[in-house]
Amino acid sequence: MPYYQTWEEFARAAEKLYLTDPMKVRVVLKYRHCDGNLCVKVTDNAACLQYKTDQAQDVKKIEKLHGKLMRLMVSKETHSGSMEMD
Amino acid sequence: MVLLENDSFLTELTQLFQKCRTSGSVVITLKKYDGRTKPAPRKGHTESFEPADNKCLIRASDGKKKISTVVSTKEVIKFQMAYSNLLRAHMDGLKKKDKKSKSKKTKATQ
Repeated sequence: MPYYQTWEEFARAAEKLYLTDPMKVRVVLKYRHCDGNLCVKVTDNAACLQYKTDQAQDVKKIEKLHGKLMRLMVSKETHSGSMEMD
Repeated sequence: MVLLENDSFLTELTQLFQKCRTSGSVVITLKKYDGRTKPAPRKGHTESFEPADNKCLIRASDGKKKISTVVSTKEVIKFQMAYSNLLRAHMDGLKKKDKKSKSKKTKATQ
């Protein structure tokens, strides 16, 4: 299970993985205050992308990605199997 | 697993973070949710259930206590703002990167 070295690559890969199958993908965030680190994992139970950090500057990036994926999840998909007629 | 309203979930999540400041981890999981409340039917039964497309499930745990909430499109804006503030406020134990090291351990005086 590879840990990504750069946030940019991780974020891009995570979003890409989510878009291939939104229902399968989950995002896991583990924060340890006592150790001072934060781990993010994005997986669809086949592929697993991970990013680990102990830098305060990454908190904002991680929180933004979380928000972005959250909004993607609640928005109605216009492609892939929509039942609405345009 | 306790399913809560968005506001209660945020309150409980704050408490989880506060509890885990000295030891332990807070694990948050985010997943798209289609609103099903019954397990997937075995073969032979037709699924008489309309999958909803606009919800997501958020779970949090400190290893012992588990909480969860469902967020839908109408709530996401408000929830996401409060949630982001919460994360940023509590995940403050990480190292701050500054070029001039202010920590007492690395005293560059010779």
